Amino acid sequence: MYSDLLHALPEVMGLSNFAAVIIGVIAGIVVGAMPGLSATMAISVLVPFTFGLEPLVALGLMAGIYNGAMYGGAIPAVLLRIPGTPAAVATTFDGYPMARKGEGGFALQVAVVSSAIGGIASAFALMLLAPPLSKVTLLFGPSEVFWVAVFGLASIIFLLGGNPVKGLISACFGVFVSVIGADPIYGTDRFTFGQLEMLDGINIVILLVGLYALPPVIDLLETPLKTDSVESSKLGTEPIWKAMPRMKGFWKTWLRSSVFGIWIGILPGAGGSMAAFMSYNEARRTSKNPEKWGEGEPEGVAASETANNADTASALIPALTLGIPGTAVAAVMLGGLLVHGLQPGPMLFRENPDVVFGFMWQFLFGAILLILLGGSLATNSFARLLNLPRPLLGSVIIVLMLIGVYSIHGRMFDVYLMLGFGAVGWVMDKLKFPLPPVVLGLILGGFAEENLRLALRIGRGDWGVLFQNTTSLVLVALTVAVVVGPIIKRRVIDRRKEAEG
Amino acid sequence: MLNLIKTTTAASVMALAAGAAFAQDYPSKPIEVIVGYSAGGGTDVMARTAAPFIEKYLGDGASLVVKNMPGASGQIGVTEAATADPDGYTLGTFNLPGMMARTIDREADYDRDSFTYLANVVNDPNVIVTTKGGGLDTIDKLVEEAKANPGAVTVGMSSLGGDDHFMLIKLQELTGAEFTIVPFKGSAPARTALMGGHVAMGILNISEVAEFQEELNVLGVATEERSDFAPDLPTFEEQGYDLINGSMRGFIAPAGLPEDVEAKLLDAFAQLETDEEFLEAMKATANPVEVVTGEEFKELTSDLYDLAKGVWEETPWN
Repeated sequence: MYSDLLHALPEVMGLSNFAAVIIGVIAGIVVGAMPGLSATMAISVLVPFTFGLEPLVALGLMAGIYNGAMYGGAIPAVLLRIPGTPAAVATTFDGYPMARKGEGGFALQVAVVSSAIGGIASAFALMLLAPPLSKVTLLFGPSEVFWVAVFGLASIIFLLGGNPVKGLISACFGVFVSVIGADPIYGTDRFTFGQLEMLDGINIVILLVGLYALPPVIDLLETPLKTDSVESSKLGTEPIWKAMPRMKGFWKTWLRSSVFGIWIGILPGAGGSMAAFMSYNEARRTSKNPEKWGEGEPEGVAASETANNADTASALIPALTLGIPGTAVAAVMLGGLLVHGLQPGPMLFRENPDVVFGFMWQFLFGAILLILLGGSLATNSFARLLNLPRPLLGSVIIVLMLIGVYSIHGRMFDVYLMLGFGAVGWVMDKLKFPLPPVVLGLILGGFAEENLRLALRIGRGDWGVLFQNTTSLVLVALTVAVVVGPIIKRRVIDRRKEAEG
Repeated sequence: MLNLIKTTTAASVMALAAGAAFAQDYPSKPIEVIVGYSAGGGTDVMARTAAPFIEKYLGDGASLVVKNMPGASGQIGVTEAATADPDGYTLGTFNLPGMMARTIDREADYDRDSFTYLANVVNDPNVIVTTKGGGLDTIDKLVEEAKANPGAVTVGMSSLGGDDHFMLIKLQELTGAEFTIVPFKGSAPARTALMGGHVAMGILNISEVAEFQEELNVLGVATEERSDFAPDLPTFEEQGYDLINGSMRGFIAPAGLPEDVEAKLLDAFAQLETDEEFLEAMKATANPVEVVTGEEFKELTSDLYDLAKGVWEETPWN
């Protein structure tokens, strides 16, 4: 198998195949950086055009876009607190405060280096460990996947800090949104008000753009003459080789977050946003100064960005070997593979080794190219957007949002829906309700529901089916720890204070 | 009076000429093919693979443009195609039994008479699979187990009201055995749950297991004759079970096409059956081809509607 891997290399280095990766990475960064445009969308737009292309050109474009977009999402997350993609939500936590402190340039550099490291680690996992790792996916049946989703939701509610009650309310709103659409088992309409457009549920991008992009834009336009915005003169740009030494302490975070990202990537359905949250939480928990997190800790950006890129290639492990995509992007890419006659399954690696392994190499190169292309592109062009007068900047963002949301399905209905979510987001923002639980609530809520109901069907109504094996029990224990842990910790601290006082 | 006759004759001659000209001209502009699923899905791949061949057989620089209108399990796209102008410039893809089942389990703005049936192109037969090491490695053992312990055998499959579901209903009616349905969102998660041993049995389509024959026990295929996809795989008929079922995909146009346009389209679609290049391309994308055109396709649709209706009346699935 490893000789097949090397055998595929010369083909990848061909001019058109390599150029495809470069173009893909640049396109991906641009797409990821625009609120409302996501990698999923860019690749689904691309798929029909790839019919006429050579397989490796088509796949190279897709690999590049995927890698580029996962990083690109960090650019507006850092500069404007608007995550460009769902997976960049956790990047706003420390990235935006850094930008406010005049360290936006450094934040972007941390993001690009971390993204590249995560992407490289993930590409190696895909290249070297795909068959054994796909066995891990098989351990996760409906009851285990249900617990993964519950664990993810519990973490986001209780570990994010702030008020857990408000977190819970936010998450409930997200879960409610996930309920809209066809019932996952029976297909009956729920809260669709007879609209066929709502039958497939609410697309995550519509919610994300509404919640995250509209409120900051309103703020931006509310106070056109306020000058506390992040100016590019305050970006703190310096060449990347000068910035590198300041990141040398991050290796632990990089390593841990890569493992998180790869791990969550191979689990069906959770995807980059959950990977980023989990790894952010874990990095903060083990940090020496957790209280500084959220106020502009570069390591927080590193944790989130490493993890959301580390899940890219690994999400393709179950997709290529089992036909079940780990993320929405992987699902679209699966379509792109099918177009070129690449049927997912154990036979894929034997039947089309050159294309499959070539595709994996392209992932690796895409990740490496991020450092070369991403750093300068972000700091030299996107950051300059912030020099625009505020009314103009706000209008540009609004136009991008409208185009992005409209182009998901090509219908105005989604745009109105997005504006509705925007109003909700603005109110939540003002009342200090956290927004990330809403996003994860939508992603994981539907997932939890569907798998809970499948598990109960398998158990024929017996709830014991949820606790039947070790994998489930481990996940239950982790969930309990996440919920109870902070309470115990607070009690202990209080006791100590009492004892001291 | 004479004048009047003259004018009418002239007018009718002109009308006839226009009609003939229409057919001769057709297609004089791009033909839109509405696919109710997103790009890269099985139905989309079928449409895009067939498009250049249809262009070739229509001749005169005909061009087909595939337009994806995903949503509501294909219902948005097929409704659009059903209600388009019947001028031959809007065609659509059609899935069976899904499109008929949707007229039963929810409100639809179309029914089986809304279409001009062009051709069914793909027929992907159902297979029954079980997990390796579960011991149920023949259809007889499986049925025996399901009869001995009604409901104990869990069946992973894709959503209710689809071909997998109807296949299971046929099996239950034929044998009197009882199974527990576990409807996943799509076949791939169902197949993965089978491989992980989370469900005991699965109903899939042959294209979905062709690459997984070593990982799963494939007990049989629901066709009259063995499938090209897995020639070693026995049919259920051979094993004494009269089970024939599958998932079908084809092309329709709105009802009321001009006759000559319909004839021209039917002729083009009929030629797909013998086009080696087309068959090769379809095989590469895991699409078992079975071309059924015109009236026969319409009858096939009607039969499946009756089947779905019958199932719905006895055991509604929502």
